Amino acid sequence: MSRLNRLLILVIAFFSMTVLIGGSTARMQSERTLAGEWIVRSTAINGQTASPKGVSLGFPDRDMVFEQQGDLRTGVVLREDVGHDVRPLGVWRVSGDSFSTTFQLWCPDANGPCGSIVMRGHFVRDDKISGTMTAFFNVSDDNTPTGYDTWTFAFVGNRVVASSSGGSH
Amino acid sequence: MKLRARLSIPKLMTAVCAVAFVLSSVQYAFAGNELKGKWTLTISMPDAPGSSITRSFTVTIDVLPRGESLHGRANITDDSGKTVSAAWRQVGKQVSIAYELPCDGVNPCASLILQGKVKGGGVLIKKGSVIVMWDTENDRNPSLFDTSNGTFRGDQIEQ
Repeated sequence: MSRLNRLLILVIAFFSMTVLIGGSTARMQSERTLAGEWIVRSTAINGQTASPKGVSLGFPDRDMVFEQQGDLRTGVVLREDVGHDVRPLGVWRVSGDSFSTTFQLWCPDANGPCGSIVMRGHFVRDDKISGTMTAFFNVSDDNTPTGYDTWTFAFVGNRVVASSSGGSH
Repeated sequence: MKLRARLSIPKLMTAVCAVAFVLSSVQYAFAGNELKGKWTLTISMPDAPGSSITRSFTVTIDVLPRGESLHGRANITDDSGKTVSAAWRQVGKQVSIAYELPCDGVNPCASLILQGKVKGGGVLIKKGSVIVMWDTENDRNPSLFDTSNGTFRGDQIEQ
């Protein structure tokens, strides 16, 4: 094999690898999305069913719907178990296999504690996610780095499969 | 008894009027301090997890009306022109705005929760606080991720 042929093969191999790696990265980034409907189940970590200050959200199944329009990524929790108009709002972002969402808690009682939730997780598959949710309650707690009562619990989410008629289960 | 009744009716009317006035004033005061319109938010926070260097930046927030809901949406635009979504709620003067800090490749990603009081008839948020939750894991933090605290100020620029 001539020196020129060897060089040609090396160049072709290099470009092939670049295309393959670039293609798979682009595919990975474009494939992962929260957009759609998810049923999210949460569980306590180490038996912590409430925050250190005694605030708890319970562990209801959460029906979450995420939407994306360009860079605008929004989310809503459908809390029809509480009321038809109860729809806490949130936002989200995805980076590779990881994602982050932040939601506001729904607090109809102005005198009760309120707060915000940050979900951090990763895609187990395109239709399955898992991670942790952290509630930052607007209750002072000198024992936490932020100074706010903080409670973290685990979650697993499964994407709701759209039916053939275009609706969802 | 009749005399007492005669005296109590005007007093009762006065009390009812006073309560109605106070209630309408309170309602007006809260309505006047509703988060709405376009604002600039100047945020100061560490530039990275555990860093003592403060990063200050200004974003514009376009608050969308929440109607009868407890929550509303907003769009936040940074100085590079990138716009992301935010979610907000308000009880009385107390407002909370949550959004995801975009991963711009220069500054680390984070989730931000801004809390403050809308004052001045709805044009100012002074000395607001910011909870920063970074993307870096930290099992010694109750959130299981690094966190920081920051501050912010809000100024309404358009109703």
